[in-house]
Amino acid sequence: MNHEVQLYCWHFMSYPYLPSNFDETQSSGWVTVPNSLWDRERSRGLYQQYLDQLVYASQLGFDGMVLNEHHQNIYGLMPSPNLLAAALTQKTKQGKIIVLGDLLPLYLNPLRVAEEYAMLDNMSDGRLIAGFAPGSGPETFNYDVASAPSREQFWEAVELIEQAWTKPGPFPFEGKHYPLRYVNPWPQPTQSPHPPIWIPGARSHETLVQIAQRGYCYFLSSRSHGKETAKSVQKFAGVLKDHGKHYHPNRMGILMSTYVGETDKIAQEESREGIWYFLRYCLKGHQRREGRQLTFGPGVPYIPVDEFKEYLKHSDPTTPLLGDTEDWGDLQRSQSIIVGSPDTVYRRFMDVLEHAHVGHLLIQFHMGNMSDELARKSMRLFWTEVAPRLKQATGPLYEQMFGKAEEQAVREVLS
Amino acid sequence: MSERLIEFSGRIVNVIEEGEGAPLLYLHGFADVHGVAAGLLTFHRALAKNRRVIAPAHPGCNGGDELDGYSVDDLIYHYLQFLDHLKIDRFDLVGHCVGGWIAAEFAVRHPDRVRSLGLVGAAGLFVPNELIADVFMHAQPERGVDYKTLRRVFFASSDSDLAQRYFPNGRGDLEEEARRYGMLRFGSFFGFKPPYFYNRSLIDRLGRANMPALVAWGEHDGMTPIAHGNAYATGLPGAAPLMVVRGAGHAAHMESPDVAAAFEAFLSENSKS
Repeated sequence: MNHEVQLYCWHFMSYPYLPSNFDETQSSGWVTVPNSLWDRERSRGLYQQYLDQLVYASQLGFDGMVLNEHHQNIYGLMPSPNLLAAALTQKTKQGKIIVLGDLLPLYLNPLRVAEEYAMLDNMSDGRLIAGFAPGSGPETFNYDVASAPSREQFWEAVELIEQAWTKPGPFPFEGKHYPLRYVNPWPQPTQSPHPPIWIPGARSHETLVQIAQRGYCYFLSSRSHGKETAKSVQKFAGVLKDHGKHYHPNRMGILMSTYVGETDKIAQEESREGIWYFLRYCLKGHQRREGRQLTFGPGVPYIPVDEFKEYLKHSDPTTPLLGDTEDWGDLQRSQSIIVGSPDTVYRRFMDVLEHAHVGHLLIQFHMGNMSDELARKSMRLFWTEVAPRLKQATGPLYEQMFGKAEEQAVREVLS
Repeated sequence: MSERLIEFSGRIVNVIEEGEGAPLLYLHGFADVHGVAAGLLTFHRALAKNRRVIAPAHPGCNGGDELDGYSVDDLIYHYLQFLDHLKIDRFDLVGHCVGGWIAAEFAVRHPDRVRSLGLVGAAGLFVPNELIADVFMHAQPERGVDYKTLRRVFFASSDSDLAQRYFPNGRGDLEEEARRYGMLRFGSFFGFKPPYFYNRSLIDRLGRANMPALVAWGEHDGMTPIAHGNAYATGLPGAAPLMVVRGAGHAAHMESPDVAAAFEAFLSENSKS
């Protein structure tokens, strides 16, 4: 088995043409950000440019391309990641296509997701990784999805989709939220028994238990990677152990952002505008204290009262968020967006991987209003000068640590 | 005053009772007993001088268990089971905000059991172009700490002592934070869809609730626009003209002593008949 870390290119597809007075005039980049700011003329060709960057990642040799679903915001112009995934199935020949993921409670019926993902798996000749997510704060406002019942709805939807891919149809699904008389989707996925399933999570113990028991991959929903990331790995490993299973790096993925230039100085100069556009504008309303963030809090009460109390005990509302980053020093401490020469980026990625043994790195290259040229340059330098070293270092490291557990762990994922 | 946890139909509910005499069921809202306060407020105590006030927390609120379903029907049956448990047949019914909505839904279904109906800033009606405020968005503080706009939803002024007391900026007392959160979670279950806090069918059913009714509304209600008060006062056959509470906001029963006085007069008058 290959133990090297898997490296994927994640594109969020932010809106890059905001006016320079955006921060002074708008309180959020999410849900309520006026769409009169959309420039129809300048936006011609934008999706093509973003899609071609992902195709470029596939051509360079990345292990896959990542898409996700957002609505009514400037951070991610992908209300339907499945449309872009469909384009990628035709534009690329190699690399996984990871949709992370369709927001199940937003669908009238999750059977639709089972069908579309099965189509994508066929269209890509078995390259789909099927991500499922419940949606967070903004989605409650965007699609009138009540937060409180959304987690229960989500897990029922996941169960329905997995059954739709594995249980011979037609069969009735006697769900509370999605009762169906006839579950019998055509097509069935190419991969057997079904595409790998990835689920994002952050705080909820229940989510980890479900992922552990069901043999899915855990994607840690966090943009910052200090000590907390290693703790999350340990926590998940503990949950797996409690359920008689074994941790392996291929059970877990994280998101990191990077810009690679020839030198640290060049990297900073070239990425400054895109990164600060991303931090100040795209994260406003999501991960920034200025304005009103809608992602988590009392107004989006999707976790039970007891869990919220625990969160209150261990949090401080005045703690700066990623979007509050003041300068490069601040940014470096957040371990979120890593900027520098190939050597710097390699060392700082390894700092994370040596403590948090995750097997899937989902990497954002394009940030904010970064130009096509710079995004491609950073991807190219990363792939040619950083990726080989990361693979070379993690292969033996993970082999030594997890080689023995491997066979067992692989069986658990596939069972 | 007695506060106790009672169990019926497999669920635990926090119930506060005070006073003796004819029973009055009080269904709470956000800025209210169980929503922000652990115990009864001055308004409820005033009513309890001459009768038995029974104030249950909604499912999941103030330490109680959540329900398995949260349709209007589920809530009505929850309260029917509650009344069965307490062996209460006929009673006066008063509700505020989302509690007023549940009270109205109960009254149109079981008019024979409701001796009189009192509403303060009740949600529940669909009135075109008069949206009920998005309490959920306002509950997400600005800059992570500032609840000014949420205070204005519930009170005439976001700077008033009451507003500051119950929705302070920053991290508040853990139990109070948890209580407010429980109420928002209840609201998310029960009133999020459609956005927000109404049943399109209710307005046509109001004619069935023919008991004497008093509808009171803060003139600066920031949650349920006063058009909703007018719609209730017009639609309920037994209602007196809408009582507009000068200087008050959504939580008019907390903000003005006039509301308790008016309800006391209304309830006393009715108890004679």
